[in-house]
Amino acid sequence: MEPEEISSHVLNKLLKAGADDVIVSVSKQESSQIKFSNNLINATKTWENIDLGIFMALKKKIVLTNLKDFSLSAADDVVNKLLKFVKSASPNKEYAGIAKGPFSYKEVENGYDKKIVSLGDNAIDYVGKAINKALESGAKRTAGVFENSVANVSLLTSNDVKASDKGTHSYFSIRAFNNKFASGQKTGFSRIINLLDVEKLAEEAALISKQSLNPEHGKFGKFDVVFETLPFANIIDNLGGAMSAFSVEAGLSCLKNMIGKQVANKKITVIDDGTLKNGFNSSKFDAEGAPTQKNIMVDNGILRTYLHNTSTAKRFNTKTTANAGLLSPEPTNLIVNKGSFSKQELFEQVKNGLYITNVWYTRFQNYNTGDFSTIPRDGIFMIKNGKIGQSIKGIRISENILNLLKNVAAVGKMPERVIGWEVETPVITPAVLVKDVNITRPID
Amino acid sequence: MFKDLADFAVKYALKKGADYSEARLESTTSNTFILKNGIAEASGFDKINGLGMRIIKNKTLGFASTNDMNKEKIKKLIQNTINTTEKASKLREEINLSEEKANKDKYEVKQKINLNDIGPDEKIKILFDAEKELINTKINIPSRYLSLSDSITTEYLTNSDGTNILATVPKASFFYLLTVEHDGKTSQRIWQYGQSGGFEFVKKWDIPSIVVNEVKALQNNLKFGVKPPKQALDIVAAPQVVGIMVHESGGHPYEADRIIGREGAQAGESFITKEMLGTRIGNKVVNVVDDPLLENSYGFYKYDNEGVKARRKYLIKEGIINEFLQNRKTAYYMGIKSNGSSRSVNYDRESIVRMSNTFMLPGNYTEEELIKDVKLGIYMKNFMEWNIDDKRINQKYVGAESYLIKNGEIKEPVTRPVIEITTPQLYKSIDAVATNMEYHAGNCGKGEPMQPIPVWFGGPSIRLKKIRLGN
Repeated sequence: MEPEEISSHVLNKLLKAGADDVIVSVSKQESSQIKFSNNLINATKTWENIDLGIFMALKKKIVLTNLKDFSLSAADDVVNKLLKFVKSASPNKEYAGIAKGPFSYKEVENGYDKKIVSLGDNAIDYVGKAINKALESGAKRTAGVFENSVANVSLLTSNDVKASDKGTHSYFSIRAFNNKFASGQKTGFSRIINLLDVEKLAEEAALISKQSLNPEHGKFGKFDVVFETLPFANIIDNLGGAMSAFSVEAGLSCLKNMIGKQVANKKITVIDDGTLKNGFNSSKFDAEGAPTQKNIMVDNGILRTYLHNTSTAKRFNTKTTANAGLLSPEPTNLIVNKGSFSKQELFEQVKNGLYITNVWYTRFQNYNTGDFSTIPRDGIFMIKNGKIGQSIKGIRISENILNLLKNVAAVGKMPERVIGWEVETPVITPAVLVKDVNITRPID
Repeated sequence: MFKDLADFAVKYALKKGADYSEARLESTTSNTFILKNGIAEASGFDKINGLGMRIIKNKTLGFASTNDMNKEKIKKLIQNTINTTEKASKLREEINLSEEKANKDKYEVKQKINLNDIGPDEKIKILFDAEKELINTKINIPSRYLSLSDSITTEYLTNSDGTNILATVPKASFFYLLTVEHDGKTSQRIWQYGQSGGFEFVKKWDIPSIVVNEVKALQNNLKFGVKPPKQALDIVAAPQVVGIMVHESGGHPYEADRIIGREGAQAGESFITKEMLGTRIGNKVVNVVDDPLLENSYGFYKYDNEGVKARRKYLIKEGIINEFLQNRKTAYYMGIKSNGSSRSVNYDRESIVRMSNTFMLPGNYTEEELIKDVKLGIYMKNFMEWNIDDKRINQKYVGAESYLIKNGEIKEPVTRPVIEITTPQLYKSIDAVATNMEYHAGNCGKGEPMQPIPVWFGGPSIRLKKIRLGN
């Protein structure tokens, strides 16, 4: 039986049994990964996956299930279990329904690439070229992954949504080492493989690794910091999580009661765009079937809206932003609007500061206040009188996310496309200069 | 289960030219219940049936997984994997596995109260009871997020060396995020409980008491907390804090794949090298082990995901770097045997070197004795923010429930004391270890795609001498 027939079978059975709202999604994905370290391929990986996702609301009782067991008999079993399960579930008094179709959808521009579909073993050649480029550019060792996938999603809901979408994705991450304490990392993504320049990323990572040789221990204090795109994407990814209306309700957001208020310097505008051309998470529709849209989240420093699905939007007296997430609205592609400065011009504005090329292990002390710390890794450099100097190590950024965003002093003009191990939401951002960043380090 | 299909996959890969093949079947059913600010947000259940395979040909490793249990499709997947390993062989890391005994066994973690015998209503009632108790405290708790989950996983592992392991492990976990407000200030705690076994553990945890104690401590700290002293002092760190310290800086840097550099682009590498085996990292009182065999632990297994029999590993013995966590590949590389540390979180993830239950062994003192000798210090019962760099040297722990110690007695609460310290300094500053063992649950992150794997971390209370707190 075809997935669409199974979806329709499940939907009809649940509606017949009294469900008020039903969403059935089927996603099929074929993906591959080349994992490498020490300049050699550690493993090639292939995944084939079919998922059946069902959301059901019956008298405001919400039950969700995800099934990685795809057959008509499994679907029938799951319907019976859903109906049994919902009987003893408790109602969600705040539940306010799902998007009402039918809708018309626009194709994502540059969202599907036949070259990725037929890429197969040729992915190995890309990795080989990237490793060689990094070595030619001065790296001694490299590690990373190259991932490619083809996905098909179909969605059927009790509110007249019948839709499908397909997409391809390509993601590359490389960390280049000169020695254990001198490294650089770059990541990139694209829906079209020819638009992903793995060799350029490899070269840039290698150059950072070379530049960061012989680091000295950093000092604590307040410093002006030029954040490279990768670490600033990490900050923006965390801000994106705080933008979800679910996070606001659950205590996971520093943006509670901040709509219409300043949450960043006026130089900062952040957009969530589910329709973005060649956007890694762009799609025709969200998890309820609402057509994706472009939402201005932070407009010249002012928070305009949270990310919503239909139900959270009703609770906040607004309209969905088409960011469902059936429980928790999620960001799609986060874009920081570019400014007017070249990277060199950002450096030139710093008398005594730091240039940070990556961070990791960002953890919040209090999501409600936005207090957090994160650890710079890979190349970290002193900036003296506008010039990049000595590489350093052993420091930590101990800050408040709202404070950090309010202290943005200049925004670069060359955005990069970042996703990675710690940046789960794709972020497109230029480098930025932030004043008075609190730097700490282990006390001797 | 589709055991025949796994057996077939192993043989078929050999027939197609593989030198080694391994198949791992997983069948998991799980349930989750979420209560957010007193509202039953949703209930859910998931089901997984899938097959993951590792194939080595010409010393090249290929991994493949599918949840389509169709024999013809699996044959095609194996053929494709073999083709890819051939193409990759020109640029591959040479893969050799340590020789290990081919184990055949079957085991199950027993449940006194079967997780499937408890209905959704009874499970979510526990969360409603906790919510009611929270409201009864009259403490201002603007955000209350509670979640209860359980799962039963049956795995069948077979490989071309003759290994056959069938294992069934049920697990339950409870997660909470609580925000307490007082005088316009907020404080938060996120914590988790987790065990392998049946519903009896959920009952034993006494979830309403856990959350009530938590909000009382948070409020007490907000109301009466004083700033920590600036001068060097002694810290008595309680088991929750010791557990995370040991996990981050006594467990992760001992993962052999990090030491070799295999996780370089993701979870990072390690400041420890092979040459550091046998050298001193901490005081003689420090003993850190990783032990998958702790009964009913969250990281329990009898055989790892390569079929190697699990055992206790002494990572730090009397302050000396003693042993690394190994899988068959890293063990061969280092010229030794695997110590059974290969785990994958699901059928569709490659098994890699992981911790299981990592903890500091108890010493000879009571916690009271550790405190009694402190003139000026901090008692750090638990923590909120923490992190560590990717080589596992520079770490930070911010105390949540914490108190001043003056002349051997616990006094007023202290607000957010910060330990920001290097690994060698941390382990060298431990001068006394208590006997009060505790284990705590977490999901350790590693791998790409991420594999959050259930672990315990723990230990007794310890005393750190002459520490200057961070900002």
